[in-house]
Amino acid sequence: MFKRILVANRGEIALRVIRACRELGVESVAICSEADRDASYLELADEAICVGPARAADSYLRIDRVISAAEIGNVQAIHPGYGFLSENAHFAEVCRSCDIGFIGPTPEAMAQLGDKNSARALALEAKVPCVPGSDGLLSSEQEALETARRIGYPVLLKATAGGGGKGMRVASNDLTLQSAFQQAAAEAQAAFGNPGIYLERYVERPRHVEVQIIGDMHGNVVHLWERDCTTQRRHQKLIEESPSPQLSPETRQAMCEAAVRLAKTAGYHSTGTVEFIVDPDGNFFFIEVNSRIQVEHPVTEMITGVDLIKAQIRVAAGEPLSFTQDDIVPRGHVIECRINAEDPAHGFRPCPGRIEKMIVPGGFGVRFDSHVSAGYTVPPHYDSLIGKLIVHQPTRREAIETMQRALKELRVEGVATTVPIHLEILSHSAFHDSKIDTTFVERTLLG
Amino acid sequence: MAAESSGDVFDIKQIRRLIELMKKHDLSEIDLKQADQQVRLKRGADDLPRVAAAPAPRLAEPAAAQPEQKADDSKHAVITSPMVGTFYRASSPEAAPFVKVGDRIGPESTVCIIEAMKVFNEIPAGVSGQVVAVLVENGAPIEFGQPLVKVDPEA
Repeated sequence: MFKRILVANRGEIALRVIRACRELGVESVAICSEADRDASYLELADEAICVGPARAADSYLRIDRVISAAEIGNVQAIHPGYGFLSENAHFAEVCRSCDIGFIGPTPEAMAQLGDKNSARALALEAKVPCVPGSDGLLSSEQEALETARRIGYPVLLKATAGGGGKGMRVASNDLTLQSAFQQAAAEAQAAFGNPGIYLERYVERPRHVEVQIIGDMHGNVVHLWERDCTTQRRHQKLIEESPSPQLSPETRQAMCEAAVRLAKTAGYHSTGTVEFIVDPDGNFFFIEVNSRIQVEHPVTEMITGVDLIKAQIRVAAGEPLSFTQDDIVPRGHVIECRINAEDPAHGFRPCPGRIEKMIVPGGFGVRFDSHVSAGYTVPPHYDSLIGKLIVHQPTRREAIETMQRALKELRVEGVATTVPIHLEILSHSAFHDSKIDTTFVERTLLG
Repeated sequence: MAAESSGDVFDIKQIRRLIELMKKHDLSEIDLKQADQQVRLKRGADDLPRVAAAPAPRLAEPAAAQPEQKADDSKHAVITSPMVGTFYRASSPEAAPFVKVGDRIGPESTVCIIEAMKVFNEIPAGVSGQVVAVLVENGAPIEFGQPLVKVDPEA
């Protein structure tokens, strides 16, 4: 096991990793920007090192400074959290060449899975169902047209280097496809430095279901069941839950096994998430792999009883998985609401500022993961996530009721939060009946 | 440098004593006030101290200003670290430190080295003035923005 780890992140995930380190008996070195100097979670680490001014590009994203902090902090490994450098294959490569452990997959696996087109090729090789689409990157407008006619409109043009819901364009006929093709390539080049685009059938009104997997360095890969993240706004997840409602047991089983097959084919170790979309007929299709720990990992932790961060650190230290697939039994129902410092009444605009008062909910089956408390100033430089409210109950109905109770108990004064939109979603009959898709929030709740 | 007890600052014995002290402690400049008299001794490039009398004698308390204890700290400039790494006072263990207390420096003067990822970076002062304090131990780990050297820009 490592003696010391650098936590190369901030906010709630930094706190999460520091907590896991404390339980494992591993020393932690936190990093911070000048804007985060007074964050209280830094005191829980054994050391805190400032790596730059507020702007992420000048601090948390500065590979040289993060590595320097790792060196003067005398750590054996770096945990990258999520976002920032967590899916930066070059960073993972630098760690390796500096003989510092990277708590995540190998740079090769990360690069292969990070490129959406090569991930798709890998999925096809692993016999994982993919959305019907082009055979690799499109070499010309003509190829785009032929592919679209073959698989049928509407189609989705996707940037291979894109992510987070960006770099996608829908085309519903030859005419729009022709103009979309040129624009998509140019945009991809400008936004991601890579003009490569490919084409897939556009699945309208899909559900978003992802499978958590973990692999060790000894070839073992286990899935920890699925999370349904259909409740989104502009491709940003608002609510996640498990099990995925309305998924048949056969589909669930097939999806989870497909995720494991893909991870094994990729030689993947560490935690990762395989994302699928599910069409209205219940067919599932591979979308992409997130080769990092995710924001919504607590959902899986509660449903399976497995501490994913500790498992991830153990795997990185070379330990074999301490559980087999048969040990992973889901129990009850879990819902997570992401609490952001955003104002739903005003286009979800970010609301940085000082939190004057804060009351945190509790009780049976209620978990609140947050680095924030009264007196904390939410900085404007980073994402607006201030906490994750997670609820675990025996049934979905009880989970919804408890989440509503907990959301009403949660008091944050000084900044606006997304609590009102969560209450609205959770009281909507479509959510109760699970008759929603990824466009539900935008179509129904936001004028 | 401890305050000298009574005596006229223009007493030649006093001045010689001060010159000896400057050489011994490798000081480049001393500024003394006593009553209404002021003397500034400065060691030049050829290592011979030159005496410059104050333009007009005036009444002032006898006190030798100690560079480390200037009353008005807020006027001091602080050179902070632009990177994360390890602080070194000199270019090698055998070399003399880049700066010491009392040194006069300019914006291009190297004040220290910060080693990061096996690269040795010379850190420029960015300010002019007299070094008031070196705030970090040789070989200490340094974070971004950490104060390294205090400089009196008015000296």
